[in-house]
Parts: sequence; C-alpha cells; structure tokens
Amino acid sequence: MSLKKFGENDIILNTMRTYPKSEFFIFDSNIYYNDKPSQSGAFSAQADNVPSGHISLHEINTDRADGTNPFIYPFTYKQSSGFALSGSKTTDAYGTVISGSYPLSASITREFMATAGQRNTATNPDTGLTFQTTPVYPHFYALKNRLNFYGAISEHYKVSSSYGDKANQTINLTSIPSIFYGQKINPGSVRLDWYFTGSLIGTLEDTKQNGELIQTGPVGSTGSGSVAGVVLYNEGFILLTGSWALSSQTISLEAGAGPKNPSWIYWGAGAHDNVSTSTAGASYLTASSRLSFEGTNDIQVMTMFAHARRGEVNYSNNPTYIEYNQSLVEQTSSQIYLENNSRRIYNFASSSYTDYSASFERQVYVSRVAIYDDKQNLIGVATLSNPVRKKEDEDLTFKLKLDI
Amino acid sequence: MAVTNYEILDLTQDVTTTRTLLHESIPLTGTIISGTYGTFPSEDNIKNYTHGQFQSVYDYPYLSSSANHIFDISIGYDEASPLSGSPGVTLEAKKINMYNQFSQVLLGYTGSTNTVRKFELDLTLDEVGAMQESFFLNFSRLITKDQIKKGSVSITLGTGSWATPFAGTKVLTDVSASDTGGTTNTFGGDYGLLYSSDNVVRGLVFYQAGIAVLSTSSFDVMTDFLSESAGTKSVAQVFVSSSITGACDALRHRVQNISFNNTTEINSTIYFCRVPHNKYNHSSNPTYLSASTIRVKNVATDTPVAYITTIGLYSSQNELLAVAKLSEPLRKDPTNEITLRVRLDY
Repeated sequence: MSLKKFGENDIILNTMRTYPKSEFFIFDSNIYYNDKPSQSGAFSAQADNVPSGHISLHEINTDRADGTNPFIYPFTYKQSSGFALSGSKTTDAYGTVISGSYPLSASITREFMATAGQRNTATNPDTGLTFQTTPVYPHFYALKNRLNFYGAISEHYKVSSSYGDKANQTINLTSIPSIFYGQKINPGSVRLDWYFTGSLIGTLEDTKQNGELIQTGPVGSTGSGSVAGVVLYNEGFILLTGSWALSSQTISLEAGAGPKNPSWIYWGAGAHDNVSTSTAGASYLTASSRLSFEGTNDIQVMTMFAHARRGEVNYSNNPTYIEYNQSLVEQTSSQIYLENNSRRIYNFASSSYTDYSASFERQVYVSRVAIYDDKQNLIGVATLSNPVRKKEDEDLTFKLKLDI
Repeated sequence: MAVTNYEILDLTQDVTTTRTLLHESIPLTGTIISGTYGTFPSEDNIKNYTHGQFQSVYDYPYLSSSANHIFDISIGYDEASPLSGSPGVTLEAKKINMYNQFSQVLLGYTGSTNTVRKFELDLTLDEVGAMQESFFLNFSRLITKDQIKKGSVSITLGTGSWATPFAGTKVLTDVSASDTGGTTNTFGGDYGLLYSSDNVVRGLVFYQAGIAVLSTSSFDVMTDFLSESAGTKSVAQVFVSSSITGACDALRHRVQNISFNNTTEINSTIYFCRVPHNKYNHSSNPTYLSASTIRVKNVATDTPVAYITTIGLYSSQNELLAVAKLSEPLRKDPTNEITLRVRLDY
C-alpha cells in the first residue's frame, strides 16, 4: 500500500465557536435544567442518578442502584506514574486498588450574603478584647480582586465605588459551574426573571454586554433601567445587589427570617441555599426564578483534502478484486516464492445492455480514507457513507473534517 | 499574562512522559438485559430493526435521551456448519453472512486459499477446533473504552429450564488471559478464551474490539433453549428455524450477569519548570509597585520577593498554549531555587 503525503494547502485549521444555551428554572427548592422533566427509573428514583437541575458528567450510570443493578465505578492501581483518584493516600502500597465513584454532577448554587464583608469575631482570653477573625462569607473575599479587576469595564464591578461598598451590602451570589458554559458566558446573553405568583415582576439583562445587569422589564416596573448586579463572564458568577422591592407584598424568601418584599437579592431562592417551605415558610411557593445564558465553546476543526488523482488509487486489496479461482503462487520452493503476476482483475464495469458484459475498465470503489502520522502509524480512519467509484481517468478529492 | 522573558525547556532533561491505565468496573446485570422495562421479549430498552440482523440493548428505554447503548447481540453460523442447508431454515444467508462478517473483521483470511477464517476454541488459529455456530455480543465503545481488561470478563448464563433459566448456571471467564499472556493477536486485536468452570472453552473475547463470541455448546444439552407457543426448541433448532431476533431474545432470557473491567490509557507529559535563584524575583503585577517603589522593599539593599502563582507553557513561536495554576502562591526570592512539576494529562 502506497502512502500519499498531504501538501501544504491540503490541511486547514479553523476554529468553530459555538454558544450552547442553558436555562435553569427554580421553584420549590428544585432546579429544572433546560426544562428537562424528572425521569424515574426502575432501580433509582431519578433515572440519571443525579438530583434535578444537575448535569451528570459521564452519564453512564443510568438507572442504577446498589444491589440489584450496581454502579459503574472507576479504579486504578497505585503506580509509579503518580496518577491518583480522589481519596488516594501517599501511604498506600504500590499495587493498591484506588477506586472512585460515579456519578459526578454539577448544578448552580446560590449563596445569600447578608453583609458580604462581615467577619467572625473572637475574644482574646487574656485581654477580654474582641477581635475579627475569618470571613463569614469567604467567597466574597475570594472575588474581591476579580471584581476590582473588571472595574475598568464598569464602575458597578468595583467593590467600593460611588455606588457603595459591596462589603457593607447584601449580595446574592449565584455560582455557575464551567461545565454549563465552557470558556466563558457569552456577553449579552444573560437573562434573569423573577416570578411572583406566576407573574413576571422583574427581568434583568446584560444589554450593554459589559457585565451590568439592567432591569429591562416589565415595562414601568419599579427599578426599571437600574443596575441590579454584575456578571463575571469568565468565572461564571452572578452578583446581585439590587434591594428595591419588586412587589409591595411580602413573602418568605430567607431561611429563618420573616417575610420580605421580592427583590433581586432574593432572586433564585431555593437553589441549593437551604431555602424551602420548611425553613422559610409556605409563602415561599409563590416565588420562582429563571436564569438563561449562552456559553462559549471553541471547537478546533481540522479539514484535510485527500486527493486521489487520475492514474492513482486504482487498485484494491480486497480479495474479491481478483477473479475467483486463480492461483496466487506461481512457484514456490526452498529457494523461491513467486506470485502469479498475471492474475486477472474481476471486471465489474457496468454494461448498458442486458446479457452483455462490458469491456474491462479499471475502476475501484473507495470506501475509506486512512490517516497516518509521519511515522506511518494509523491515527484515524474516515469511512464514506457510500463507496465512491473511481475510474482510472478520474480525479477525486475527499474532504475530511475532524473536530478536536 | 505579562511575560518579559521565557525559559526554554530542554527536551532531554526537562520533559518526560508517563502512561497510566485507568479502569472502570462494568456490571451488566440480567435485570437490564431482559424483563425490567416491559414484558419479555418486547422491552422498551431492546431495539429491533427491520433488517433483523441484530438487536440492540440499552440501559434504559431507548426513546429516552438518558439511555445509553450497552451492546448488540447477533448470531451466525459458518456455511460448513451442520446446520447449514437444514430444512425449514430461516434467514440462512443473513446468518452465514453475519458469521463471515465477524470472522473476516476479527480474524481475517487464511494464508494462500483466501478463505475467511473460522472462530476456533483455542489460541492457535490452525483451522482445528472451529466454532461454527456462535452468538455475538458486541459491546459499546462507551463501556469498553480503549479495551476490555484482560482477565476481568465474566458471563453468567442460565442453563435451567425455560421457565427457571437460572436454576442452573454456567459462568464463563477469561481466567487464563492476562496482560502478559494467555491471548493471541490477530486482525481484530488480542483475543482470549472464555472457560466454563469445568475448564471447557465456551467462547472468545476480543479485548480491543470489545466483542464476545459465545459457542452454542453452553446450551447443547438443553431441549428447551427457547419455549414459545409452538413448542420448545433446542439451541440448534433456534439457530435454524428462528429469526436472528428470536435467537437473540432467547439468549437474553438466559443472561444472568455480564461483568468486565475496561481500560483507558491516560498519557501524561511532565514538564520540569526550573526557576533559578537569580530569576523571577520580581512581579509584573501592577500592585507590585506603589508610587514607583517595590512594595516589599523598604530600603534599596533589601532583596526582592515575588510570589509565583501561574506557569505559562508557550510554543516555539511564543504562543501561549497552556496555563498551570498553583494551589497557593509560592514565595520566590534570590535565596531559593524552585523546580515546578507541570503535568499534562490527555
């Protein structure tokens, strides 16, 4: 088999940018991802074995449960390469089985920070003086540098600005794992909706594409046109500080606290934040929230043009390419092995007439194209949906696309 | 990331590769193969096709987006089999073609006569001990990954009556196969033998292809391999007069358990990034300076201090290819040298 080398114009590398859309609906302490209904299984309550609103990383433990239909799980042996799964110990002997567990899942999480910059306090036993210790909300402190970094894009990002000091404000932080958005959230695609008793009472959108979440609806609503928070596109965080009342009525929106007016700092209540009818109150059921955004995902695409020029690629190694019942070996002995060089190729040229065999015409059917590396290792095979006939005097070019 | 100079990696000293084998334990119980998602033989997780050449098994009703394809089942026999040309035969051409297709892909052709090899119940491929009638279990790439781990396959088949198939069982294992031997390499990759507990070879398993080929000999003594309204059939009668789909249904009824471990090769490149004592003691972070003065120095003779947080790997054209983040910043000053080990798994 002869190999052909790609020319300098035969390989093209492109980047295809995709914007996968995600949507979360939060109601009654449940999250619904992309409006996917709950599916029950024969062995497990949830067929995909992850809670509602979660995405399963491998999706291979569908409807499994310990016992009757046990889980698929990963394992390896402790090796000198240093590879480890979660739970590996350096004291394990070489050859020890190190196992992990599936399914791995992710979902959005809301964190309500009553006073974002608040710190815990302790008392010095010697002096009796009170001093500040660790932050109550360490996630706020972790994000301070990033917020100030984006302050050049919008003043609303800054921790301390003319809009106030975030450390003294109530912050509603929503964390979005990167599996939902890829490289970054697409600016201009973020939308947050606040529903009270099923009616839309507020909509936030990043219409300026600079991270500011501006209240765009409903028309004439309280706070319309105001900035209620910011989005960290690259990091997948939404910080809401808008505390104006979106409704004059009060409902239960905070665990262990009294009724509140619906506002942006209570948006998303129930998203893994310990807010439920049992911790907040029955009227929590009148609140629901929706979040939608687009992610950004780059896919590298390699396009290869494989040429089958006239006079080339005109022979098949398929055993049926040769007429049946011909001797392969012409002569063999302890000194010589000589193949029959006059074997006839089977003539499968199509005739225009019935009961008439067409004249012999050299042709092959190309069914696949193999890709080799520079050391002639087979690294890929492209199979055609239908074999393509190639006659001796034809030029064919196969366009191969590889998404990486 | 602001970079003002680059450290060139010495490919002979600063870069090395390792390979790790990661496995998954794959249990496929008979409960998902028959009877759970509907009434046998028309379960919702079993997909039949109009071409009738094989049957697909899913782990959940296949119309759901949550369902995963687990494996396909088919049967076939060689044209030289005693079953070939039997009276009342159904779909014989398809059954013979199926056998030839699998054997051609997995075993290839014999030497000079250019005939398709037959499956043999040994590792020699010497055209002796042919397995002329076979069940084929073609496992999905999703669960076999790079290959099935040698020595980990176990298939439990029910050999009881049709009504109580698991009153007796036969456990087939590739007990003699390991990473160091007990297999033969051929067109379809390495294959090993499936032994029953009485040490008789009852089938083959092709590790890279992810295909198990089971001999009908496990069921030869049974008169009711299949029971239907028209009566009972032995396994030979099923191969002759039942459709491929019907034969696959009968096998599914008798699969109690399938388990194996898969293997994924994880290749790693390790880059040793060496930070000499007299470099990288300053930072280009804007906060490193205050009023044009280095914050960490009080007087000009103080040694500079920097904290390393990130390592960038660049191509030969100085294009940023990858970034490694430290779990916590690492103090660097002229009194220490650091080697940072950056591991890239793929």
